[in-house]
Amino acid sequence: MRVFKLKRENFIPFMKGLSKFGELWGPVRKGDRYVYANEPPEKFVLNAIRTIVPAKKFFLPQKSTILKFKNNEWLEHYDVKKRVIFGLHPCDIHALNIYHKFYTRLYPDPYYLKNRENTLIVGLSCLPDENCFCHLTDTETVNEGFDLFLTDLGDKFLVWVGSPKGDESLKLVKDLIEDTTQKDIDEYVEWRKKRRSMFKVSLDLEGMPEILTFNYDSPIWEQMGEACLSCGTCTMVCPSCTCFDIDDEFDIRTDEMNRQRYWYSCVFREYSMVAGGHNFREARSERLKLWYTHKLVGFMSEYGSPACVGCGRCVVSCPVDINVITVAKALLKEKPDAFWARMASSNVEVQHA
Amino acid sequence: MGKPKIGIYGLTGCAGDQLNIINCEDELLKLFDIFEIKSFVMASSAKDEEVELDVAFVEGSVSTEKDLEHLQEIRKKSKILVAIGHCAVYGGVQSMFMGNEEWMERYKRVYGKESAVTLTPPLEPKPLAAYVKVDAVLPGCPIEKEPFLKLAGKLAHGVVPRVPDYPVCAECKWKENECLLLKGEICLGPLTNSGCGAICPSMNIGCIGCWGPMAKENMKSEAMLLMEKGFDMDEVAKRFAIFGGVERAEALKSLVSTSTKESGK
Repeated sequence: MRVFKLKRENFIPFMKGLSKFGELWGPVRKGDRYVYANEPPEKFVLNAIRTIVPAKKFFLPQKSTILKFKNNEWLEHYDVKKRVIFGLHPCDIHALNIYHKFYTRLYPDPYYLKNRENTLIVGLSCLPDENCFCHLTDTETVNEGFDLFLTDLGDKFLVWVGSPKGDESLKLVKDLIEDTTQKDIDEYVEWRKKRRSMFKVSLDLEGMPEILTFNYDSPIWEQMGEACLSCGTCTMVCPSCTCFDIDDEFDIRTDEMNRQRYWYSCVFREYSMVAGGHNFREARSERLKLWYTHKLVGFMSEYGSPACVGCGRCVVSCPVDINVITVAKALLKEKPDAFWARMASSNVEVQHA
Repeated sequence: MGKPKIGIYGLTGCAGDQLNIINCEDELLKLFDIFEIKSFVMASSAKDEEVELDVAFVEGSVSTEKDLEHLQEIRKKSKILVAIGHCAVYGGVQSMFMGNEEWMERYKRVYGKESAVTLTPPLEPKPLAAYVKVDAVLPGCPIEKEPFLKLAGKLAHGVVPRVPDYPVCAECKWKENECLLLKGEICLGPLTNSGCGAICPSMNIGCIGCWGPMAKENMKSEAMLLMEKGFDMDEVAKRFAIFGGVERAEALKSLVSTSTKESGK
């Protein structure tokens, strides 16, 4: 992998140079969190941690029209833009690699592929907060799946080249980058040590596939099911969740039928409902069990690695604290600090006043 | 096949749903184009009540004997009956105390002991489905233009639409909003049917539930969560009741007072 150096003062011109490839998107502040937005690079937050929804929105949008039906004819519908997406952390890129496997393996998804082909992915290094656990999912560094990757060393960035497309894109900014020196490499090694020492979460996640399998009938699923709001947030914010649903919308303004594809969730009740009204997972606990066993066991046997990348989005997004960390802790018999666990042990009395 | 014949009717309610149909100004001509409107009293006094209807849209709750007779007539002559708006689908705010046996007392408090309302005997307000078969629903207080046009589009093509079985939170996350529950606000998103596009949470205002209670909602968990965040149970129960309709009224009875023993906190 080739690597160059970019001085910090050249960051904005570097981004503007890359934007000749396409629309520039990067992490900007929204309330107390961050979102990927199409803004000038001056607004990008370089120490942003985990956007509210992950970068999957660029490849499988929240809602999109995939087919149109007009005058008795079906037409594929693409809404593809050339984009530069900046600010993906190693976990986000690992998640995109999972997406790539999923959407290209059995039935290559043309919508995904077209979006992917037209995107320049520019990763960015990060320092973990108290909810990051990519060091436990083997996703704290990344070697493939990006075009360029910037490591932030303070007064400079290291620019790693991850693909021919990335290499090509550097022609747009060739006057801004320079060769690295031994000092840069030494600083990088030190930076890695510092980063490694910052992770807070400590947990035996590697053992999860077996432990989950053994605990298929554990009472904790029932406890979580009691608290789960079936709001779907965990799946919407999970960067490796791929599920969608389809609906046909008739637009009376244009006399067109638009086939819509939109994010859907296995924790929704109708997800497992089949024709005739039978529901294979009527209970919330059954649906949660599906999510966790698919993510941490099923994906493993199908693709060789679990589908959790340790980004911590479920940890900071579930209103009732059902997330990979608290579930793993509960299965490992460590008492999790979680609303669902408190609810289970609270011996609630519900009375009529 | 000719154009579907439709009628748009109102029982007891604010008529806001019919008004929002009229407010589809740019699309009205298109609506006339795809439907043959046989009755829409709010828009025109010209009407034909003798003809059979393909689709009847009915707003308002059944709150009087006259409402009930009217509804039964509409049902008899319509192939598809669509309840529009919260009152028709869930009973409206007027049904939030449904079944607590104080209805007649409240009625007298409002209208006087010797009721001045003599046109038609009153009934405890209920949604349409309490009396007749309802084929499709469009919730909302009031209904929104875009969801209505989508519903109309489906009906015009012979598709009977259904309410999505997922909560406001889904659309809220599509819009990349921060979760208001996590920020310590009362938000009824997890309990409420989606379809509105998460309008209120997108403006940093907690969902008040005007699209009605989702089937199989987890009210107990949200109530306990709000209590843990320091909200008063009675306050929470009131919020849940406003748009809870008859669906939630029963469940709320057992939720008015909740106490926690040896909670982990």
